[in-house]
Amino acid sequence: MANTRTNAQQEEESKLGPRRVLPHLAGSAFIFLILAGLMIAFSILEGTAFLSRENFLNIAVDASELLLLAVGVTFVIITAGIDLSVGSVLVLSSVIAAQTMVALSGTDQQVQNFTYPNQAVGIPLGIAAGLLTGLVCGFINGLLVTKLKLTPFIATLGTLGVFLGTAQILSGGTNVPYVPPAIQTQVGTRQLLGFLPVPIAIGLVVVVVAILALHQTQFGRYTYAIGSNAEAARRVGIDVDRHLLKVYTLSGFLAGLAGIIDVARFNTASVGAHTLDNLAAISAAVIGGTSLFGGIGSIVGSVVGTFIPAVLRNGFVIHGVQPFWQEVAIGIVLILAVFIDQRRRGAEERM
Amino acid sequence: MSNYIRVGRRISRREFLGVAAAGAGVAFLGGCGGGGGQGGGGGESYRLTLIVGVTGDEFYTTMECGAQAAARELGADLTVQGPEEFSAAEQTPILNAAIQANPDAILIAPTDRAAMVAPIQSAVNQDIAVVLVDTTIEKEEIALAQISSDNVEGGRQAGEALAKQIGEEGKVLVISVKPGISTTDQRQQGFEEAIEAYPNIEYLGTEYCNDDPTQAASITTSTLQSNPDLKGIFGANVFSGQGAGTGVRQTGKKDQVSVVAFDASPTQVEDLRRGNVDVLIAQHPNDIGNKGVRIAVGYLKSDKEPSSKQITTGFTTVTRENLDEPEVKEYLYKAEC
Amino acid sequence: MDHTGKEVGVRGNEAVLQVRGINKSFGAVQALKNVDFEVRSGEVTALIGDNGAGKSTLINVITGVLAPDSGEIIFEGERVEFASPHDARERGIETVYQDLAVAPQLDAVANIFLGRERRMAGLLGRIGFLDQQRMQSETDEQLEELHVRIPDPTKPLSTFSGGQRQGVAVARAVMWASKVVIMDEPTAALGVAQVGMVLDLVRRVRQTGIPIVFISHNMPQVFDVADRIIVLRLGEVVAELDPKKASTDDAVAAMTGSLRGEERE
Repeated sequence: MANTRTNAQQEEESKLGPRRVLPHLAGSAFIFLILAGLMIAFSILEGTAFLSRENFLNIAVDASELLLLAVGVTFVIITAGIDLSVGSVLVLSSVIAAQTMVALSGTDQQVQNFTYPNQAVGIPLGIAAGLLTGLVCGFINGLLVTKLKLTPFIATLGTLGVFLGTAQILSGGTNVPYVPPAIQTQVGTRQLLGFLPVPIAIGLVVVVVAILALHQTQFGRYTYAIGSNAEAARRVGIDVDRHLLKVYTLSGFLAGLAGIIDVARFNTASVGAHTLDNLAAISAAVIGGTSLFGGIGSIVGSVVGTFIPAVLRNGFVIHGVQPFWQEVAIGIVLILAVFIDQRRRGAEERM
Repeated sequence: MSNYIRVGRRISRREFLGVAAAGAGVAFLGGCGGGGGQGGGGGESYRLTLIVGVTGDEFYTTMECGAQAAARELGADLTVQGPEEFSAAEQTPILNAAIQANPDAILIAPTDRAAMVAPIQSAVNQDIAVVLVDTTIEKEEIALAQISSDNVEGGRQAGEALAKQIGEEGKVLVISVKPGISTTDQRQQGFEEAIEAYPNIEYLGTEYCNDDPTQAASITTSTLQSNPDLKGIFGANVFSGQGAGTGVRQTGKKDQVSVVAFDASPTQVEDLRRGNVDVLIAQHPNDIGNKGVRIAVGYLKSDKEPSSKQITTGFTTVTRENLDEPEVKEYLYKAEC
Repeated sequence: MDHTGKEVGVRGNEAVLQVRGINKSFGAVQALKNVDFEVRSGEVTALIGDNGAGKSTLINVITGVLAPDSGEIIFEGERVEFASPHDARERGIETVYQDLAVAPQLDAVANIFLGRERRMAGLLGRIGFLDQQRMQSETDEQLEELHVRIPDPTKPLSTFSGGQRQGVAVARAVMWASKVVIMDEPTAALGVAQVGMVLDLVRRVRQTGIPIVFISHNMPQVFDVADRIIVLRLGEVVAELDPKKASTDDAVAAMTGSLRGEERE
């Protein structure tokens, strides 16, 4: 095993660490250009109505929950699976979190008079309950896929109904009242360091951790491998079932976190909302370059994929485009973005 | 040794064209837009934005027609927006974006009493006049005015109409949207007050269909299963009423069950003609939209608040018999203006 | 036998892996009948036989996928039992599968280290962070040693030709195999030039001393590269041929059990 490397070659190699992440980013570059193009176009058309810090912060806060769903769903789709239940998990988690906060922050009488003597305990426990709900829901999805061997589409289509129904039973079909406003003032509408809304901060942290996990850790590597060829992964000794369980649990957890943000933003649990969130999250991932066939995807792409429809809607409303035309345009962008991306990919591959 | 990828590869011509097309598409759509987005140059031409509760609902479409008529008359510029789902999570981004366009006034049908307070407050803080149409919020007073039907009265009228239809005796059911929506809760309240006066009417209670006509239909059919002698149903809004009518039709019980539905969408009017529904309590969303625009423009012109901040609009009871009379016909809801 | 009692093969190479008297049945069908088989260091042993002869079953026994009904497996002079493929892999027995078992969306480095990723040192490594640089350089070394040329180590395998993918699959097996490499139909789907590359690869692996078990239907290739040819027929070892002395006809005859072949014996 003679080492015949020259100095120049060794130098090139030492650059390779970060370079291994960059191909993923290069793939998302195109979709990022589309987002940039849209932002430029709207800035030109609308001026400071669009191009203002307040508007961008609004867009980001309004998209914060969907962003978490998109990140979670990205991991799942990369394993060649899918999670249709994320909207329902969000709602169920928000209901359980809100009801826990209300129950533990004071007696019924106190709470209905808007006093919350125990909220310092009630609110954190409510948050924990919500996160735990997300975790458990995700775990259930994972069990259905790995132990009962249901295809993910069917499994999560089923749990979509079960989780939502459970939320409706628990809440009586109505938004949860008397949630301590402190969750809204301290989390939902609070701005860290005077300018960074908490929902955006949470989103940032999740995105950074997800990027590291997906691209730099064994967990991420196994996610890609299983999506690319689950049988090959099994043959080299990877416990595929155990990993899938983790991935679905992660998706559920992030949906639970999104549910907490929902309670924090609106000071209630909105049972009738989020019905279309699952498709929006999957669209975000797909626009961002994640392949429904597995093995390909990136967090940066999904972030961009979340913001493209958000920016489009924002710009269209500012401009005054009729709502139905907005949906047509967003659908066309989705198709175009995916089409061009697939052409680019297909040009490189050989069978 | 192998070649390494050159990071940051150049954009191909096709990709550049794709991006340019996206940008151009947006600019083109600008031409199709509702005409909003002009800078505030034009003198008396006030810019108004109407944000409905959910798109595709004929009640709101009719409201839009009334608002557009008033806007045309007063020379104001009206843009209409709305979410696909009746929820604060969907309506908030739209309101936030509308605020950015800096209109002179916003008319909005809030989708959540509590959750919409903050973004509406934000509009008020930026000197945008806000008029609440149809539904309301907890801190109602921050708005310029609130216009809606007197829903309690409407519910009462529905109760009276249903009592008359069923000969003042028998079992009745209410199908509503979900608890917590001011308008439908008030209708339910009015209805309950009215039928209390009839000792022979048995009130089975209220079921919630979550604004889904399919769910309303299945509530109807399953109630008929457990109460085959059901005599009357009150559907408290468009989709509830539509679903009740469908359910009655499906079970073939239209001769037995009388249905009074709130609202008069084209589908409901069709149900009325066919006999699946017996009475429609039509609100006047056209008036709500019309008055909303007038109040907003009046305030913008005079800078004086309206004398009354709470305005109620009326109802028209629609039956198979009076359906085609002109005074009734004008209050049927429209699917497009 | 030499003085330590270890079996010494014809060429004086040590037997790394031996199976003795292996029987395996599936219901009424006896797939392996009293099979003796040996893998010696520095040798390429070809395993040939018609469909249903028992080649796959024998390989599955050797790699721990199946447990034999009776008989023994001796690995480096000691009797062993493989409870799972993991056991066999742990002992340094690696397989290049007929379907390659690579993840096409991953690159060469990721595939080669699949399931055996190198982690960073310290706390970061314990929470799962990968040492990408180290894996990259180790891969480069291995590929260079085997003269495997791939266009780009950072591009997914789906952009490679069949032969290049095969190269990566072989490199993976060789990298981790400290004792035995098994290749199941490694040239089945390849074009002429790529076949040459794979056979060169086989020879280079042999040079490192690691023995190879080579399953193939292709007689010319088998005779080209093998040191010994084991012929299976209906679950039994019917012949062991020296490619230098025997001919393709002999091999075919042994495989099919024709009269000519039996006469010659």
